[in-house]
Amino acid sequence: MTSAEAFIKAIESGSKHLVIKRFTLRYPEEKLKFVGDGYQFDPKRGVGIAGYRGRHILFHDKCTGCQLCAIACEGIAEAIGMVKVDEQWKHNKKAIMPQIDFGKCVFCGLCVDACPFYALFMTDDYELSSFTKEHLIYTPAQLAIKPKYDGDVQIKIDERGATHG
Amino acid sequence: MVVLAKSLEDRIDESQKLGLQVIKESEDDRLMTLNVGPQHPGSGHFRFTVKVDGDYIVYADPDPGYVHRGEEKMCEYRNFIQNIPHLERPVIHDSTNITYSYSLAVEELVGIQVPRRGQFIRAIASELNRQVYTLYWLAIYGIFLGHSTMFMWPTGDRELFIDLLEALTGARVTHAFNIPGGVRNDIPNGFKDRCLRQIAYFEKRLKEYEDIFYNNPLLRQRTEGVGILTKEDAIKLGVTGSVLRASGIPYDIRKAEPYDIYNEIDFKVQYMKTGDSFARSYVPFLDMRESCHIMRQLLDKMPESGEVRSKLQPNPKGAPGEAYRRVESGRGALGYYIISDGTPKAYRVKISVGSFRNMLALPYLLVGAKLGDMPSIYWSLNYWPVEADR
Repeated sequence: MTSAEAFIKAIESGSKHLVIKRFTLRYPEEKLKFVGDGYQFDPKRGVGIAGYRGRHILFHDKCTGCQLCAIACEGIAEAIGMVKVDEQWKHNKKAIMPQIDFGKCVFCGLCVDACPFYALFMTDDYELSSFTKEHLIYTPAQLAIKPKYDGDVQIKIDERGATHG
Repeated sequence: MVVLAKSLEDRIDESQKLGLQVIKESEDDRLMTLNVGPQHPGSGHFRFTVKVDGDYIVYADPDPGYVHRGEEKMCEYRNFIQNIPHLERPVIHDSTNITYSYSLAVEELVGIQVPRRGQFIRAIASELNRQVYTLYWLAIYGIFLGHSTMFMWPTGDRELFIDLLEALTGARVTHAFNIPGGVRNDIPNGFKDRCLRQIAYFEKRLKEYEDIFYNNPLLRQRTEGVGILTKEDAIKLGVTGSVLRASGIPYDIRKAEPYDIYNEIDFKVQYMKTGDSFARSYVPFLDMRESCHIMRQLLDKMPESGEVRSKLQPNPKGAPGEAYRRVESGRGALGYYIISDGTPKAYRVKISVGSFRNMLALPYLLVGAKLGDMPSIYWSLNYWPVEADR
């Protein structure tokens, strides 16, 4: 290929994209669709279930206050601390539950792997920004709330190219 | 440096007439020292000092260490599983490969086997992550050669693989997916079709990359014959990965010492013989194409069902002894040498990375090159400063 031909080919391949729809998505209006309901772990089989690793969800009716999640996090981010809760549960005599500082959390999900009681999972919620550091500390009551996430955009591929649908 | 309209002799004559003292220029005065980095975006978190004589570089001295994080020491204070999240921080966009060899070494110490399906998923994640890294590198290489389309396209197409990894592992860049004993989770439903579709599209895009970038006469003129690293010197300097393969040595860890299921995969080691900047930038491109081919085979040969992770106690103890395992990462051989004393924590961990070895070739290649060729030589070395510092 001579250099003139190569130039023409380069310009041609670039100019084709003038008429192709853009690949990027318009973020706050459009959000990506994730697989499943967030990362979960099955302690019986000892294997996780695929899903997005966003902020955690804590099931108060299952948490026994065993602190295994806090121990798992000790050498990683030290984001989990156990705090007293005003709830009365038969299986949680000490009445302590994890409180997570998302300013420190690295979202590795190893605390979920450590929980043997199906009490701590992760969710699709990744929009955690706040104006103060204190607001990033989620109490057990805040962690119990199931977030609303309605992302529905996926990569679509056709003859003309790829877009975020 | 002041540009002089008059010649040096004229100036000396003038100064002597005015009664000024004249100091003759020595050899050192002719050379100008330039600092590239650590804050200049042309180098990353890395500084190198070059001395230039006019337009030619006569001396180059790399000075790494600005982003040293003490990863090796940190490994001594955490157990084998807690090490995973912090070990991937040096190369967050190649995080599956940097924990791959760690997992292999720990598995050897603890004495567990990864189930067959787990090995396949690991290899798929590793190949996807290699694509993510190579596209990121290609984007930087493009922008530093002044080709801004080549910055936009790979950055956009990187999303194809980030999307797949997000579906597979649950995180976009820091996956924490490989773990001693296998992988964290099984592949989700519909992943195979999605993967095949996006790979097919990406292969079409690679042809466009070739048209707009690699066959572009402007790029060829800037990179061909620049910074030639001969075969003998490449071996002597100990470079790895694409830099070694660009100098005409078909050496790939996946082929030379196959780990997991790579001995069942049929692929060619891509290499070029010229050893210049162009070859060093073209070999990763050929690797991306080969990687698509490998991924298709992996998805095809993967067993339909089965375990993906062997059970490991929460605080695994390694048998007293040592283990060294390495994998082929985006930048070359990436190895972990772990000494265990029988406790849940490692006695010593040494990380051997491709970036550091490739960096050692930098002073050698820069001397004699023009200053304008510096970006094309520096970025073609497939170097990542954070990984080199650990």
